[in-house]
Amino acid sequence: MAARQSLAFALEPRASATVDDFIADLAWAPAGDALAIAGGEGKVALAKVAADSLTLDVVGEHLLGTLALAWQPRGKTFASSGQDGSIGLWGPDGKLVRRWKPAPAATQALTFSPDGELLASAAGKIVSLWTPSGEPVHAFAPAAATAVGLAFDKPGTDLGVALNGEVAVHRIQKTRYETRRYKWPAACLTVNFSGNGRFLASGMADGTLHFWNRSTGKDSQMRGYDGRVELVGWSDNSKYLASSAGNDVVLWDFSGKGPEGTKPVVLSAHTERVGAFAWQPGGDHFVSGGRDWRVALWRPGKTPRPLDVHLQDSDVTAVRWSPDGKRVAVGERKGGVTVFELVAR
Amino acid sequence: MSVTPSRVPVTVLTGFLGSGKTTLLNRILSEKHGKRIAVIENEFGEVGVDSELVIGAEEELFETNNGCICCTVRGDLIRILGQLMKRRDKFDYILIETTGMADPGPVAQTFFLDDDLKNQFQLDAIVTMVDAKHFEQHVDELNEPAEQVAFADLVLLNKTDLVDADALERIERRIRGINGTAKILRTKNADAPIEKVLNVGAFDLQRALAVDEAFLEPEYPFEWGGAYQLDAGTHRLKTRGEHDHHAPGHHDEGHGHEHHDHDHAGHSHEDLAIAILPLPAATPAELGGAIEAAVRAFAEPATVVPCHGTIDGPGHHAIDISHDGADFELTLKTPGAYAVFCEHHPSGCGLHFEGQKPAAERKFASHHHEDDISSIGIRDPRPLDPTKLNQWLDYLLKTRGQDIFRMKGVLNVKGEERRQVFHGVHMMFDAQAERPWGGATRMNNLVFIGRGLDRAELEAGFESAVARQ
Repeated sequence: MAARQSLAFALEPRASATVDDFIADLAWAPAGDALAIAGGEGKVALAKVAADSLTLDVVGEHLLGTLALAWQPRGKTFASSGQDGSIGLWGPDGKLVRRWKPAPAATQALTFSPDGELLASAAGKIVSLWTPSGEPVHAFAPAAATAVGLAFDKPGTDLGVALNGEVAVHRIQKTRYETRRYKWPAACLTVNFSGNGRFLASGMADGTLHFWNRSTGKDSQMRGYDGRVELVGWSDNSKYLASSAGNDVVLWDFSGKGPEGTKPVVLSAHTERVGAFAWQPGGDHFVSGGRDWRVALWRPGKTPRPLDVHLQDSDVTAVRWSPDGKRVAVGERKGGVTVFELVAR
Repeated sequence: MSVTPSRVPVTVLTGFLGSGKTTLLNRILSEKHGKRIAVIENEFGEVGVDSELVIGAEEELFETNNGCICCTVRGDLIRILGQLMKRRDKFDYILIETTGMADPGPVAQTFFLDDDLKNQFQLDAIVTMVDAKHFEQHVDELNEPAEQVAFADLVLLNKTDLVDADALERIERRIRGINGTAKILRTKNADAPIEKVLNVGAFDLQRALAVDEAFLEPEYPFEWGGAYQLDAGTHRLKTRGEHDHHAPGHHDEGHGHEHHDHDHAGHSHEDLAIAILPLPAATPAELGGAIEAAVRAFAEPATVVPCHGTIDGPGHHAIDISHDGADFELTLKTPGAYAVFCEHHPSGCGLHFEGQKPAAERKFASHHHEDDISSIGIRDPRPLDPTKLNQWLDYLLKTRGQDIFRMKGVLNVKGEERRQVFHGVHMMFDAQAERPWGGATRMNNLVFIGRGLDRAELEAGFESAVARQ
């Protein structure tokens, strides 16, 4: 009987461009035809993405650094925010539609609800909701600390806010708002709802990863990280929770009875700190990028080794899959932006 | 592969309310010094200079997950530092201002939190500004001023134009009593040269440990000793006269409460205990060799000498210096070298031999501890056993980490060709191998600064870490 040859996947670079800035984050347009680019030094850029080219324009700036980017689901506008406190709304051609300051503090985080009807912002201790055109909808009571991370759950009814000492989850039901608090006495850096709605995870500055069972409220703590857990992400099917605080990516397996008491899967390919990672939408591929200038493609659960590795020109600082899960945009410390395509060989 | 970038030096600026931190920051930001300095200030808008390099921070504390309540770090700083590192034209410097009431511990400890922070940032120094005019009052009433001094690598003694020379001496001694290793720089309007505030290299331990070891030694019943070459016959020992009591440049205008400070100083100087001892020679070595004899002399009852009285030769005397311009006759039968040990530093009352200068002098840590925070130093050449050393430090920090504010040391570890250097803040510390000893004398040099430190306990712990032959 002939052995069945499985397909080998790889990443192939298709297009690249450079922004004169540190690439802090990237956001794909829903149609996959544009990329918004956040510069750590402040630039906001927009790249038109074609099959084999990136046409890039710097469209604006946030003095002292761009901190967050969000593209409206199903829409044609994206939002940026920065150290200068302002939120910018940008049209499809990169034209500034509106710019405003929600509070006299840096705006650390932005996110759209999954239906694209609400934009949430975190400026200092103030978390606010806006219409997609920037009209105010609601401002929550000031938090006890600076809000550093925001995420909606999949149905879009719950907004999680990462704070020093807790993750606050605001339930949004038309004009009624209720808040539930998941407390841990450390700086919560991320907020990550599992796609199946069962868990809420948060990476902490004290070198732990927490996940709460949302129906029981039970808090589970994962330790053993080298430092701050700044990178956390659920696989599309909610099977794996990926995390990193050093050179390795640590995957907790939530299938069966969950990860408690189990040993995690460790993805080791980077020789320096992992700077960004992302799960493939609608698939089981995973891409990581590190300060070792490498981009690695993985298929966790199939093989513990990377399927493909590329060497970039500087530290990899941002990694984002296109919404269709077919391409990956990679950003670098020195300003390089490369679009790879996932190919089967 | 990526080249590890050099670490960005960080200065932490502390100081009680009104000590002059903002004045210093404004000056640093407006001066043309060619350095790119990012300032993280404790709230928005305090610094009056328009600069794209000023970021406001709100103190957000959290405890690290190691079960120790003193290991508190600043979450907001971690976030801001991360964002600053996204600038490719890196800063030459980062300066972090803390609030007036802040404990500098959490800020400093943040830089020890994990390897990523340790690899990117170098804590250069903790600089504490002290308001000379109000320090004594604040330090008596509150804990924070003494703690801020205890953490310091550099103390900027500011507003020196608002107090007289006696008060400055007294304040410096008090600062030294708390922290025996910090450098002290006197300033008027926070006018310290920028190069002396930044790039202090406090964690260059060789330099940090070289200063004022007197304050790290065991405590003595005297603060000062001098060696003199004296002829037989009568000598005059005098205090400062009434007319030169004020320091040059001191202004009384507008400071009507100054006299109160003088009264306060006067009381503590009423009787001054001194011991006069013959020496084989007026040299630093012989002065050092007379310390034990001086301690014994101070334990004997003192002969009371009234103002303008006569000191009848060597021995322990209590001289009355309650009046300005007090003077005493000292009669010596034989010429030779003599040591004079004083209960307080003689500069406080201006005590001096008329027409004589000491051939050698030395400062000592006195038994007069106004503050429960002090520094203890251990110098010992014997090589240490690395396992026992770790056991001792682990135990020490677990049990006393909360009381030990700063800990620094250069260690002679058995089998190690290089100096082992460590420094820490409370329980968090960093240790690394530095330059080889080469031909230099191997020496352990440790300093602990903290509250209620017990020298016997620290010495016993050190002893337990000495390698067996």
